[in-house]
Amino acid sequence: MSDGQPRPTNDAQIVVTGLSKQYRNVRAVNNLSFTVEPGRVTGFLGPNGAGKTTTLRMLLNLVTPTTGQATIGGRRYPDLADPLRHVGAVLEASSAHKGRTGINHLRVICAAAGLPRQRADEALAMVGLTPAAKRKFKGYSLGMKQRLGIAAAMLGDPRVLILDEPANGLDPEGIRWMRGFLKGLAAEGRTVLVSSHLLSEMQLLADDVVIIAAGQLVRQGPVDQVIGSMAQGVRVRVRTPQAEALTRALADGPGTVETDEQGILLIAGVDAPTVGRAALAAGVELHELTTERPDLERVFLELTAGKAGIR
Amino acid sequence: MSNLVRSELLKIRTTSTWWWLAIGALLSIGMAFPFNAWMFDSAVGGGGDEFGVTGDAASAPAQAANLYTSGQYLGLLFVMLIGILMVTNEFFHQTATTTFLATPRRTAVIVSKLIAASLLGFAFWLVTTVIDLAGGAIFLALNDYGTQLGEWDVQRALLLNLMAYAIWTVLGVGIGTLITNQLGAVITASVLYLIGTQVVGLLFFALASWLDNMAVLKWQVIWPAAASQIMITPGENEMLPAWWVGALVLIGYALVSGIVGVLLTRRRDIS
Repeated sequence: MSDGQPRPTNDAQIVVTGLSKQYRNVRAVNNLSFTVEPGRVTGFLGPNGAGKTTTLRMLLNLVTPTTGQATIGGRRYPDLADPLRHVGAVLEASSAHKGRTGINHLRVICAAAGLPRQRADEALAMVGLTPAAKRKFKGYSLGMKQRLGIAAAMLGDPRVLILDEPANGLDPEGIRWMRGFLKGLAAEGRTVLVSSHLLSEMQLLADDVVIIAAGQLVRQGPVDQVIGSMAQGVRVRVRTPQAEALTRALADGPGTVETDEQGILLIAGVDAPTVGRAALAAGVELHELTTERPDLERVFLELTAGKAGIR
Repeated sequence: MSNLVRSELLKIRTTSTWWWLAIGALLSIGMAFPFNAWMFDSAVGGGGDEFGVTGDAASAPAQAANLYTSGQYLGLLFVMLIGILMVTNEFFHQTATTTFLATPRRTAVIVSKLIAASLLGFAFWLVTTVIDLAGGAIFLALNDYGTQLGEWDVQRALLLNLMAYAIWTVLGVGIGTLITNQLGAVITASVLYLIGTQVVGLLFFALASWLDNMAVLKWQVIWPAAASQIMITPGENEMLPAWWVGALVLIGYALVSGIVGVLLTRRRDIS
């Protein structure tokens, strides 16, 4: 996939430094800094209106930052000699002329970027759209539009992939395909930055996350680390008709027991076998005994609580 | 740069818009040519008084020039629309993102659109002129006037129309960058071109009567569509300035709209 040229190791690193964008009444992005490493899938997360799209557009020189800068491999996007050979971007699904065929859409881009014409056919095959090559864009389903966008991004065989909400409008099969595709690209050593608000999908896909809210950085790091950094760790969830008896049985141990509004016990500090053994010893009847790990969604909601919403 | 121009031409070729505009240009020849042939017959035959075509304007060369440029008044509108659509399509179909990702140097993008538009304007001029030349020469030869192609009046009309085509396509691109809303740009430009000339003519006539100074009429050249008409109209009179004044005004508009368009596009946030 690569052209065999030796490259410095950081040529695919994305560095965002003190980036801000002030629109007339709203500071869409506020002093945002983060880095994105090659060889990993980085999820760019935030509630609606957090400034994800604006940040990605500033990274690609489509929107001019008010202050700060964003570089890819140490250079601003417009300073890249051959931008499409370096960076591929998928920004919105509906970005082709409705009356133009899929293959011609890609050929126009090839012509502008000085790429060989057959790259259009290769990229279309890569995303499985060859049968629809000569169909007009207006006849494409949302999923096909997303695939065409990815094909366009792959034309220059870039080292860096930037995708804004690529899973939008994809069916489960399409989402699974996308996951495998992006993980494959990262495994080849490419940088993959994906914005999304589908947290369960991100937990399956991303190695690292950058979480923003209200235009500001909330947390950055590997997914496990971000989840592990939260106050609430692993909990054991127990449903039982004898809640009081079990609580008493566990009182001597290291665990702490909470009862939620439905009467379900949430026990922190001990593992499920310990709870099960204690229940058996105390003769307590159990209806459910499960280990609950904090997931990205819970961490995300906790981190961005109060910062979401319309600005 | 040649890559970019190729890409712009490919964009036009791969949609059906240019077909519709080409059909429009051919239809306007189809309508204008018989009328102009009838005009030629009437005026050169001595019946031009009825519709105010007398003197030089009723001569065979002047009428042949009119015949050989049949349909190009509306033809100019169509090439201008191509120029407009080359820019506004990018915003209407949200392809500006793709375009500026492939080429972050936005000045180069607009300049390549200007070049591609001029090439297209030239193609439209060439095809319509060839049709007019063939039809006109046959009509004139059949009526024993000879082809009149040796006359400077005729050659001049052909060349000035070529210039008009180049300028109006560039102007179209400029208008597209100023008014990125597709419908807004198309309607504004069409109204300015088609209706504007008459209204402006009337306004200046009223102004000239009010000031009791017919020289004021010459100032209608500041209106682009009027400048275009003045440029391709042979002869000078007390009502209208010389052709080159029209040409200079028109080139001025093309330059200003092109430069303002580049500057605006460089600053614009694409979202």
